[in-house]
Amino acid sequence: MSSTVALDAMGGDHGVVAAVRAACQISLGRQTAVLVVGDRPRIEAELGRNRYDASFLSVHHASQAVPMDASPREALDTLPDASILVAARLVAEGAAASLVSAGNTGASVLACARHFRKLEGVPRTALAAVFPTETRRGEKADPFSLILDVGATLHVDADTLVAFAHMGSAYAACISRNPRPRVALLSNGAEPGKGPPEFVEAHRRLVDDPNIEFIGNIEGIDLPRGKADVVVTEGFTGNVVLKMLEGISETVVDVARYAYRSKLAWKIGLWMLRGGIVQLKQLTDWQQYGGAPILGFDHPFIKAHGRSNARALGNAIKVASKAASSGLCEQIERQLASSAERPR
Amino acid sequence: MSSPAAAPPPHIYRWDLDKTYLDTDFDSVLGLLRTAIQRPADKANIPGSSELLRELRVAAAGNAMIYFISGSPRQMRGVLVEKLKLDGIHFDGFILKDNLNNLLRMRFRAIKEQVGYKLPALLTARIGAPEGSRETLFGDDAERDALVYSLYADLLARRVDIHTLHRVLDLAGVYPDSREAIEDALGKLPRQDPVQRIIIHLDRKSPPMHFDVYGPRVVPVYNYFQAALTLFQDGRLGAGAVGRIGTALVERYEYTLPMLLRSFQDALRRQIIDRPAAVRLGAQVAGGGVSAEVVALFAREAEATPAPSRDAPPRLQPVPDYPALLAREQHRHQIEKARRRRISHWL
Repeated sequence: MSSTVALDAMGGDHGVVAAVRAACQISLGRQTAVLVVGDRPRIEAELGRNRYDASFLSVHHASQAVPMDASPREALDTLPDASILVAARLVAEGAAASLVSAGNTGASVLACARHFRKLEGVPRTALAAVFPTETRRGEKADPFSLILDVGATLHVDADTLVAFAHMGSAYAACISRNPRPRVALLSNGAEPGKGPPEFVEAHRRLVDDPNIEFIGNIEGIDLPRGKADVVVTEGFTGNVVLKMLEGISETVVDVARYAYRSKLAWKIGLWMLRGGIVQLKQLTDWQQYGGAPILGFDHPFIKAHGRSNARALGNAIKVASKAASSGLCEQIERQLASSAERPR
Repeated sequence: MSSPAAAPPPHIYRWDLDKTYLDTDFDSVLGLLRTAIQRPADKANIPGSSELLRELRVAAAGNAMIYFISGSPRQMRGVLVEKLKLDGIHFDGFILKDNLNNLLRMRFRAIKEQVGYKLPALLTARIGAPEGSRETLFGDDAERDALVYSLYADLLARRVDIHTLHRVLDLAGVYPDSREAIEDALGKLPRQDPVQRIIIHLDRKSPPMHFDVYGPRVVPVYNYFQAALTLFQDGRLGAGAVGRIGTALVERYEYTLPMLLRSFQDALRRQIIDRPAAVRLGAQVAGGGVSAEVVALFAREAEATPAPSRDAPPRLQPVPDYPALLAREQHRHQIEKARRRRISHWL
């Protein structure tokens, strides 16, 4: 099923050039249409240089853009025609089914909050991210686990943790085609009583919930092993964990580079292992993840990395399209409704 | 008794066949083989091509001539003629390449080369054209149609001198008998400027900017709905016909209304159709089997499109540097060939 994705073309370090290239590439696949939102003259100039399919690409003008370092609320208040605001409005009006932006994260979430509806039963929206693991899961043998929240809400209560668990589970079911994703709480021990009170309470409520495959608590060591398909935590911890995983991945590559330069024997060894290293590099390449979904609104929003190039943005568009066409938001709402019907 | 006013000369439409009218795959050996053995009924059209051709004939009330010029071998004539009959296309001429002769004479370069085939064919065909008749040419971006058609137009208008022509023919590696045919035909043709429009179907989705060097006479289009918009702007098609072609794309070729709307927006953006013409189209298109939704889309989008700045200068028709362009095309062709090889290798 084809769907339209609104793309904020003015955000991200590579701006219009990367956004238009990504939109053009996606249009050639003739599966997903892209509504490129931003400065029309700049977008049109870039379009002329690219191969695209006119039936799957359209442009909507927005005269302003939120700078990457701007204060979100202030920026949106003073820039009413900002591309992210216009793009979110177009999605809310039905011109597109989902939204992608590589721009200012705070402003993007705030723009969604202004135009999208928060789903019934969602106390707080969550920023989710995927990380590579040993284990493969789902129909597509997906090597990624989902972790949420990674920064939208620093500290949360038990209600929010339970909602995050359901939102993450629905996302994994729709995007990884994993019909029964294993969900866990990230804590400092596997026992049900470990962790802060809100985690203990969330554990108590999730453990008997038939709408979710809750496997209990997991520890940090279990993350890269892929013990859980969905890892639930608060934004503060989630963000620290995510950055640490990214840091480890970059460090491994740096160490390998250092080793390659240092000794001939190590160089030969790495050369012999090059196939595996390439695979590892691909697995940890953030550009293929397609960005971080913001869960809890009535339309999917994928926040692409600020450094996203055309390829990364293209993958973000694909994920956004899949989220919309698989009925992710409806699935989240259904799952939360089923959970709410249960006695606490 | 006064004599009746002379009928205006007919308008001539010259069409390339493969990738312009027919959805042919000659990028792979398998595709070529399939094309060679396909029955007429199995040959697929580029969406909207047959509908557009029929509408052009109807719009001219019979005062139009339709010619096909194709790089397909003459041996395919029967199949191709049968295919056009099945599509209800009446044509006035059909030129095919004598590739068997090229093969027997070991002129291997001529089998694929376009300049040395299409240019003399076009010029020779023009000798027999009714005086004062104007032309609209249809080609695609898989070959060098934009270059050959533009060169044809500029040669007829004597905007390109014989020295430049020789440089182009040298670069293209055109055989002596083809060069002779070109010069012979040119010698017989008076100075004239009949080519009104060159429509290039973007089969390979080449960036539209690649065609800017040919000036506003060349219009790259993503589909035949956009071609219809160009022809409406040129006064060759009525609003009803444009709407019917749009409707046909939706009803017969898996297009959707949003896809049509995006094509329309793209046409407005690239000024394939200007705003006044688009507004006129929106107002006139109702009726004649056109879906009400299509009509509403045209009208709304045309009204919503910002008018171009008054300061924007009109695009002038330049005389391209043909030798440089051909060299660029040849270079691009090499890159494209290498890219396809890479893709097929990994696939």
